[in-house]
Parts: sequence; C-alpha cells; structure tokens
Amino acid sequence: MLWVDKYRPKTLDKIIVHEDIASNLKKLVSEQDCPHLLFYGPTGSGKKTLIMAVLKQMFGVAVEKVKMENKTWKIDAGTRTIELEVTTLSSTFHVEMNPSDAGFQDRYIVQEIIKEMAKSRPIITKGKKGFKVLVLNEVDKLSKEAQHSLRRTMEKYSASCRLILCCNSSSRVTEAVRSRCLNVRVNAPTEEQIITALEFIGKKEGLQLPSGFAARIAAQSNRNLRRAILTFETCRVQQYPFTNNQVVPLMDWEQYVSEIASDIMKEQSPKRLFQVRGKIYELLINCIPPEIVLKKLLSELLKKLDSELKHEVCHWAAYYEHRMRLGQKAIFHIEAFVAKFMSIYKGFLIATFG
Amino acid sequence: MEMDMDIPLPEELEWLESNALHEEEQEDFEELIEEDFEEVQDPKSISPENSKKRRLHPDVVVVEGVSKSSPDEKKSRTTASSPEAVPDEEWLRYSPREDPVVVDDGGGDDGPVAGVVEEKLLSRFASEINGPSISVTGPCGDRVYSMMRHDEVYGGDRRGLNVRTSSKGLLSEPMNVLMEKVEQEALNKALQASFGASNDPMDEAVPISTEKLWVEKYAPSSFTELLSDEQTNREVLLWLKQWDNCVFGSQIRVTSNDVLSALKRHSSVAQQNKFSDFRILSSKSNGFPLRNQNFKLSDALNEEKNNLKELWNKKTAANGSPEQKILLLCGPPGLGKTTLAHVAAKHCGYRVVEINASDDRSSSTIESKILDVVQMDSVMADSKPKCLVIDEIDGALGEGKGAVEVILKMVASDRKSAIKVGDAAEESQPGKASIKRSSRRATLLRPVICICNDLYAPALRPLRQVAKVHIFVQPTISRVVNRLKYICNKEGFKASGIGLSALAEYTEGDIRSCLNTLQFLNKKRESLKVWDIGSQVVGRKDMSRSVFDIWKEVFQKRRVKHEVKSMNSRVPGNMDFLYSLISDRGDYDLTMEGIYENFLHLSYHDPLMQKTGKCLDFLGGSDTLLQYIMRTQQMFLYVYQPFIAISIHSEIAQVGKPNIEWPKATQRSRAMLMEKKEILKCWHNKISPQISRHLSIASFVTDVVSLLLHVLSPSTLRPVALHLLSQREREDLAQLVDTMVSYSLTYKNMKYEPLLTNQREAVSDASMLSLEPPIEHFISFKDYQTGHCVLSSAIKQVLVHEIEKRKILRENGGHQPVHPSAESNSDQPLRTKDIGAFSNQTNNINSSIKMNRENPNCALTHESLKAGASQNSILRDNKCGTANGVKVKAPIIANRRSSSSSFFDRFRKLSSKGSEIPDDYQQKPATMERDSRPFLFKYNEGFTNAVKRPVRIRELLP
Repeated sequence: MLWVDKYRPKTLDKIIVHEDIASNLKKLVSEQDCPHLLFYGPTGSGKKTLIMAVLKQMFGVAVEKVKMENKTWKIDAGTRTIELEVTTLSSTFHVEMNPSDAGFQDRYIVQEIIKEMAKSRPIITKGKKGFKVLVLNEVDKLSKEAQHSLRRTMEKYSASCRLILCCNSSSRVTEAVRSRCLNVRVNAPTEEQIITALEFIGKKEGLQLPSGFAARIAAQSNRNLRRAILTFETCRVQQYPFTNNQVVPLMDWEQYVSEIASDIMKEQSPKRLFQVRGKIYELLINCIPPEIVLKKLLSELLKKLDSELKHEVCHWAAYYEHRMRLGQKAIFHIEAFVAKFMSIYKGFLIATFG
Repeated sequence: MEMDMDIPLPEELEWLESNALHEEEQEDFEELIEEDFEEVQDPKSISPENSKKRRLHPDVVVVEGVSKSSPDEKKSRTTASSPEAVPDEEWLRYSPREDPVVVDDGGGDDGPVAGVVEEKLLSRFASEINGPSISVTGPCGDRVYSMMRHDEVYGGDRRGLNVRTSSKGLLSEPMNVLMEKVEQEALNKALQASFGASNDPMDEAVPISTEKLWVEKYAPSSFTELLSDEQTNREVLLWLKQWDNCVFGSQIRVTSNDVLSALKRHSSVAQQNKFSDFRILSSKSNGFPLRNQNFKLSDALNEEKNNLKELWNKKTAANGSPEQKILLLCGPPGLGKTTLAHVAAKHCGYRVVEINASDDRSSSTIESKILDVVQMDSVMADSKPKCLVIDEIDGALGEGKGAVEVILKMVASDRKSAIKVGDAAEESQPGKASIKRSSRRATLLRPVICICNDLYAPALRPLRQVAKVHIFVQPTISRVVNRLKYICNKEGFKASGIGLSALAEYTEGDIRSCLNTLQFLNKKRESLKVWDIGSQVVGRKDMSRSVFDIWKEVFQKRRVKHEVKSMNSRVPGNMDFLYSLISDRGDYDLTMEGIYENFLHLSYHDPLMQKTGKCLDFLGGSDTLLQYIMRTQQMFLYVYQPFIAISIHSEIAQVGKPNIEWPKATQRSRAMLMEKKEILKCWHNKISPQISRHLSIASFVTDVVSLLLHVLSPSTLRPVALHLLSQREREDLAQLVDTMVSYSLTYKNMKYEPLLTNQREAVSDASMLSLEPPIEHFISFKDYQTGHCVLSSAIKQVLVHEIEKRKILRENGGHQPVHPSAESNSDQPLRTKDIGAFSNQTNNINSSIKMNRENPNCALTHESLKAGASQNSILRDNKCGTANGVKVKAPIIANRRSSSSSFFDRFRKLSSKGSEIPDDYQQKPATMERDSRPFLFKYNEGFTNAVKRPVRIRELLP
C-alpha cells in the first residue's frame, strides 16, 4: 500500500491538515443529525478523507465495510426506457457514486437513486439515525438539469437521506443546490501543513529527514497533499538515505508541457504551431484535462517571459480558457492561445531587437 | 431512325463472321447463303449491308441458279482492280443515290436483295441476266445491269438476337466498320435532305415542336454527339460491350470497332482507302487469313483499342459478364450522365429501363423490378435485352436504400455462382445459353448503370466497392459553347459567342442549365447579355458539393474573372459563391475541422502570426457557436457559420492549389481518449474501494501516475535471488508487492518484441513483461524521454510470483485484509491462520513451478523456488517473533517444511529433466481440490504423485 493510503487519517480526530474543519465537523455530527454537506476545494486537499472521516464519525466502523456494485438502472422516461449503468460503493449506511458517469442522462440517476435509497431506510435499533447518506462525487460535472432535479429531491427526501456533495469548484454548482447545503471549503493545504504531514509520515516510517528536504517536496507539490506524499515515497524508493540535493521527481506531463513551452519560445511560425498541436494532442489523448494543460502551459510560459508581457499573456489565457469552456473542441482554443502568444511574443521580439 | 440503323450492325458483322466459318465448305455454300440472308436482312438498313456485302463478296457470293461462280467474280475483281476498287470507296459518296431505290421498294423488302444481286451478278448487258434486272451506274460512269431476286422466306425470325450462331472469329475488321459508319452518315444526310427526316422523333435535326424543352430536343442521340469526356464515353461503352457475351450469347463482337472508329472519325480517308485496297487484294485467300491480316493492320492503327479489347477478351472468356457488374457514373448535374447511359445502352442494342428518384424505391418493389429487367426477356415486339439505369441513386435515403441493397445482393450471389457460370460463356447454342440463364436465379444478367451526383454519399459506400466507377468531369467550355451555338442557330436565337461562353462558365458546364436559360430567354424574346448571367436570370441548381471542394475553395483564391470584375467589386460575388457553397453542404463541424487541420500547411504571408491567430480565433468562435446551438437548440444560428469560413478564406487564401487531407487527427484523438479512459475506468473498478474512492480518474493522470511508476520501479532493487537480499531490501520488496496488489497491478507477458533495455537479459526471457493495466502508456508522449528506470525482467518475474502469492494469501489467509497492524490477535486463530497460509505457501510453490514449466525457460524455476522458500522462512520468523505460544509447534512445522522443501528439490530436478510432466498434470486436479479446502494438509512423499490420504491439520497437532 502506498503511504498516501496507509497514513490517511481514518477519523476526524486524527486529521492533521485541516484540523479546524475537522473539529467543526465533529461538533456538527455529534448533534445526531447533519445538514446536507457540500465539500469543495482543489484536488489533493483532502475532501474525500474528510468525508470518510465524517461518515465514520456518524455511523462507526460499519461504514468501512463497503461493497462495489455495478448496477443497471432501468428508468422510464416518458415514451422510452433508458438503461444506465452506474458503479456504486455502498455500505449499510451510505452510498457513494459518481453521477457524471452517466453522461447527459445523469438527471435520471440522481432522481432514481435517491428514490431508491429513500425506500430502503436503514433500520437501526437505537432508533436514532434513520437516514442514509448519499455521497455524490464530481457534482460540478453534473448537467444543469441534473442539478435542478437534485434540488427538488434534496428537499423531498430530506427525512430519509442526507447528501454529501463533493466537487472541485462550487462555481459550477447551481445556487439552489449550494444554498441547500452546508458549504465546506477545503483549501489546498499550505506548504507548512504539507511539511508537517510529511514529517509525520517520516517519523512513522522511521526515516531520517534532512532539514529542508520536506520543504523542497512541499514547494514542488503545487500544494497538493497527495502529490507531496507520493513524491516523498518516490524519493524514498529511489534513494534512501536522503541527501539534500536529491532529485525530486516531477510529473511527466508537466515536463512535457515545459518542453512545449520552450518549443514555443524558440520559434514562432505556423510550422512550429503545427508541431505544438501534435504535442497538445498527445497530452489530451492521455486524459489530461485541457484546462490543466492550458494553465500549466501558461505558467511555464510565464516563467520564461519578460515581465511587461505577462499581464497581456495572462489576459489572453483567461480569455481562451473561457472560450474553451463554452466550446467543445478544446484543442482549437489551446492552439488559439498558443498562436496568440506567438504573435505577441514575436511582435515584442521585433520591437525590442529590431 | 438512326437508332434503328445502328442496331443491326453488330448482327451483320456477326453474320459475316459466321460466314467466314462456312467459307471452307464451299459445297454447302448455296444453302447456307440462303439462310444467312434470311437472318440478316433488315429493311431499314439497306445500304450498310449492301456495301458490306459488296466488300466481302468473295465470302458471301452467289445466288441460286446463277451461271457465274464466285471464283470468277474474284478474278474479275482482282484483275480489274481499278474500276472495282475505286467504286469501293467512291460508293460512299454515291450511296445517297441508292436511297430512292430503297424507299421505293416499299419497306425495303426487295432492297437488300437488289443490292446484293446487283453486286454479284452485274453484267454489262441486261440481256445476260435472266429474270428482273435493275440498272446501276457505277461511279466511273459505267452502266451495268443487275439481277433482282425476291427473298421468299423473308420475314422469319431474322432478328432474334439470341438465336444467333456465335462464331469463333475473334478478329476485327475495322475497315468494314469505318466504311459503314461513313456510309451511314452519308445516308442520314441524304435522308434528311430528301425527306426532311420528319419521321424520326429521335433525330437531333428535327426542328419542330416548340413546346419541347430544348434540353430534350437536342439531347444527343448517337454516341458521337455526346459532349462528355471521350475517355469516359469510351470506357462506358467498353463496359457495356463486355456484357455482350452474357446478354447476346456471343463472343467478342466486332461492332465495338464500329464505335471506336466512330470516335476516330477524323482519321484520314486515305488510310481507309489503303486498307480497302489491301483487303481486296488479299481477298483471294480464305476468310481467316484475311481477317488476320486486317487485324494486324488495324492493330497498327488502333493499338490502344485492341489492347483493351484483348483485355476484355480475357475477362469475358472466364465468365459471361464483366468483372464489375455495375457501372457507377457520378458527377455534378447537367453534364450528361443520364444521356450517356441512355445513348450508350441504345448503341449497344439494349432497351433502357430507367428507375429514378420519382419511382417507388422501397426494397421490395425495387427488387421485383430489377429482377424483371435483369432476368426476363420482354415479350414485346422488339426483343432487345434491357439495360437498367438507376438514376439519382445517391438520393436514395431510408426506403430508397433498398435499391442499393438489392443490387449488392445480386452481385454477391453472382460472385458465388461465377465459377459455375464459367463454361456457359463458351456456349455457342443460343438456346442452351438462354436455358442456362433462366435456370440461375437472382443474378445479374443485364447491365446495370447507376447514376449519382455525390460519389461519397454514405448510402453508396458499399456499392462503390463493387462497382466500376466513372467520375464525370466538366466538359471543356469550348465544346459546350459549340453545341450551344449550334442549337441557337437551329432555333434562330441570337447569341454571341462571348455570352454563351460566359453562360457556360457560370453554370460550370452544365448544359441543361444553359439550355434552359437560353430557351427561357428565347421565349421571352430577350437576348443573352453577358451582364445578365451573374444575376437571377440563370436558374441555378441547389447542389451540394463534396467537403473537399469546399476546403479547396476556402483555401484557394479564385482566379478573378474578367466579367465579374467589370461589373462590380469581386469580393461580394466571391462571398456569395462561398456562402452558398458552404451553406449548401451544411456539415459545419466537419468543414471547420478540415479547415483547422489543413490551414497551417498553406503558404500565406504571416510574419507576426497574426493571421494564424485570427484564423484560430475564428475557428474557436465557430466551435463555441456550434456548442451554443447544440445546447440551446437554436438552429437558425447556423446561418452564421459560413461567414466564419469566409473570413478565414479572406485571411489566408492562397493562389496555389492547396494540398488537402481528410481531418483524421481529431477523430483519432477522440477515439484514443475514449480508449484510454476505458482502460482507466476498468482499472479503477478493480482497485479495492478503500483506495479507489479517494482517487478520481482525472487526478490519477495529473497527480499520480508518474510518481506511482517511480514507486513501482525502484532502482535499488537488485535482480538477484531473494535470499541474497538484505533485510531492508526484502522489506522494500514486500512493500512493493503490497502496493502492486492493492492497486491491482501486475506484470503480464506481452507479445511485443523486446525493447532495447531488455535486450541485455534477452537470454533469459524472450517475451517481455509489462504492466497490466498498461498505465505506463499514460506518460509515453511523442518525442519525450521519461526518466523512469525499467525493472529487469528477472525482477518482474519475481514480482509476478510474489503478487500471485499475495493475492492468494489475501483470499485464503483470513477474511480481513492483511493489515500490518492487525496482527495482534489471540493465539489460536493466528496459529491456524498461519499454518493455513503456510500450506498455501507450499501450494504456491507447486503452482509456480507449473507456471514456470509452461514458460519456455526453466532457468527461473530455481529462483522462484528460492523465493518461495525464503518467503516461508520470513513467514516463520515473523510468527515466532510475534506469538509466544506457537513456539512449541515450531519444530513440527520446521520439520514439515524441510521435508517438503526437500521434496520439492527433488521434484524440481526431475521437472527440469522434463520426464515428469504428465505426472504433474495429473496432480493438478488434486491441487485444485486441495485449494478449495484451505485447512487440509496433504503430505506428499516421494517424487510421484503419491497422495496417501488427506489428513486434517488438527490430527497433526498435538
């Protein structure tokens, strides 16, 4: 097992990165009831860990006994029946699922599953917690229709069902849904928090950490705890007695993007643009989200750029990212950004050096 | 009339061929000749026959009760070559003179006979001829008398196409044909001159009926009048001719030359003369040599033609019909596809049956219709075989696809029966052939010509593969203008050449559109003005063009036309054109994709990348617009799409011809993305939920995969046997195995060639082990070197075994997963668990040996055994360390272990010899059974499969 999983805090008490949130949640849950929750924050900040800890706090160890189901739902939608296949993780107290798997028919999933859960209320001898928890991942990827239908079902079945929503950005969750939930913002951990987490793991593993080593990893981790811990483990695997100048491995795709960036800086021509297009295609094919490609590309370009141009380039990056979200073919927009950058940069070069 | 004139020609030639066969048997000559005459005579085609018979008269010769015999005749011909040879050619010019004779004879009953007789039995004096005679004046002014003869048997089955004796004569006689053609024309002219040719509705020269559309009126009725590309015409005709064997039951037919030479009409008459001279000189010899020589000569002249012919000789010899049973003509409207099909089919003696878009084209009706046409002979008066022309087949959507399906079915069944059909081709008896034909069902026995506008219509995709495809190209403007001029002259419509050429250019050579426009103007009593053409006067068709055309137009600057320039600024005109072009097509998604993938290859001046940036902006705008339309279903916004393409055109259009490729990259990347996502999803589902719930697919690729791969391939792991590893290394290995198991990763044999890194240890293993699922693919970018070290295959082998072992341990070793911290339980369960695990351990070794045996190399057997053994020891140490109460049983276990290991040692030796393999396989079921009961211990002694009896573990314990 990787350290990421091995040292994942299982209860709210053990959480060390977002201690304030954890203590608040603990207070909330100990009231025997809880509102709908919406966790949002960047990847690798610990949303899922928090959610699992909350569930454990609410229902005890039984939550950890989960079974994976690949269920096919048959839904009557007016004239036709739709068959949807969704993978769910369920224990006696909760169901976890990723409704955006169903694509544009996610609306039916949301409706049907909540209904089904409402029907099968857990019977608890203590007679207290007569509700189930539905954990929905990637709510921001739900369609507008699904979010609207979610809003009704949230109220209708609130007696038997609690929702815990989890997403990266709350801006793409409709107001209506947000206002029905208790919003929990999970920040990306600060570098200090990451360093403490790494030192905690190092202590548990009995490793000698040279001073500043954890800080280096944390600085490179992009404030992503998962990545920091993985990098840490990678370093451990590659060379144990850590040295201060040890190479901290980078993500391959990031290196690839920086290669692209230096390609762009070297030459600005339609021909080069065509080569860049091929490389961007490579990234997109390998399931790297286009927004992240664009963002990373921008940051790589900014590193090498003159400060007077930075503002303008950032502006255009934002412009094209916006258009990318409106459109469908991400590559058009990324390439448009690259072309724009080339144009700006070439103009700048000519103006400066003649 | 002309059509009718054309048709008998093949028959005549055939007849000649058959005569050539009979040539040798001079004894039966007279009777045979009689029959032949009866067969061939056609009232309407007198003069060609005449001439031919004249030329070939040594073959034909003779009438009953004649004093002169053919040898005499020949002699007279050859000796007095000048008076005779001259007429031979001169005759053509005089042929009109004959016409009154023909017509006077009333339907031509006597005509042919007269012609022939006049040839054979001419004499200087009328008195020398007994019976009725007719006087003929030769070209040189000599007057001769000819005997007239009535043909009593006339009127029988003279034209039955299928009742034709086919001959083996494969040689051509191009001269005959050439002569014939010329004569025909002369005759036609004469006919028209004398009668006004008003009796023939099909003739182009008919200047009546103003109600008729000019398009119909002036439709080409003979092959030579076609405006379309000559090459295409010829090939279509050739294809049709290939059916002759199947349809008419004859071998290669000379008539093709008729047509081909008709196309080469302009070849000099002098040459023809030479040929005719030659023939006459050589006509002394028998038929075959004569033909041969002629063929050679013509070969020299028309080499190409004959090559073609030989080619299809071979083809048709195999099966009765051509290789490709369907002809697919495609091209933009108005170029004369339908006309060509009709004319060519008529020319070859078919009756055209047309099915077009207005007919019911559902699968069932069309099938019966096609079957009717293709397999039955009509009972109508003209027993011409039919030729099916399916017009507008690309318009066949939904129901209409039936036509394509039916045809494909028939072609497919034809293919199957093609082998059986083979011999039918040699069938000379027409009767037999027809029987054969009827006995076969659902096969194509008649030519089918399909006509379409868009070759790449989806409905035609299957058809395209089986059909012979001809693409029509626009005829040259001058050709079109010539024809238009001719028609205008005929109609008395005043039109300048410039105007006509402008019109033709504007309509892109669409004659139909041109003619309709002209007729319309004529009706309105207006004249054709150049500046009208661009405006609304010309009816333009709503046609869509292929995407490639659109891309080409977008990327390429049109040459500025002087007409347009003179009128108004050219940009709007061009824009209109592009707009209609793009909006007619409609598939904006594809259009934009094509532009996107190709525009960077254009050569446009763009030093600051501004144009490129703009174009990409436009494309991005188009993408967002499309997405918006899709989301909000506001389809009317589509009208703005073409403008995006037009603005791109205005930015980057080049003068040169663009090199356009079909946009594949987008589709390819989409498909690959789906594939990779699927891999990830499957894998995600396999990982135990405790881990997978925290890991989304997106974050896996961005955050985890490279680091995970680093973790999975530690460079510190030495490729040595397990017992040589230090304590820490062993722990590392255990940790690695644990990680791999929890992430359900393993190594798998791939069939790829060993990579370079692997070649160092290629001795040990030829096949390569790679990760399963292949997550390392997610970091393999093009032109990118990863810094990951690759484990040696030996380590990978070890890992595979360890993983297998660990998995089994997990399944059997207890219900809860093996947590490092969850070891502190009570004594008894631990003991049983441990021992169970231990027994499994041995099993594992067993099975791993088997696995290794299956591998080609046995070198690793030893290693894996060692691995198993060391694992045992680790396990034992562990147990001793943790639990005190177990110490008592330790010796027993140790004892057992040592014995078992010694057993396996022996076993291994044997197995490496390979002598015990069958025994081992016998052992397999037993092992399986044992695995199903985890707490059973089997004590095997000796090296055979001597299983004594199953023993409960508690029996062994004190």
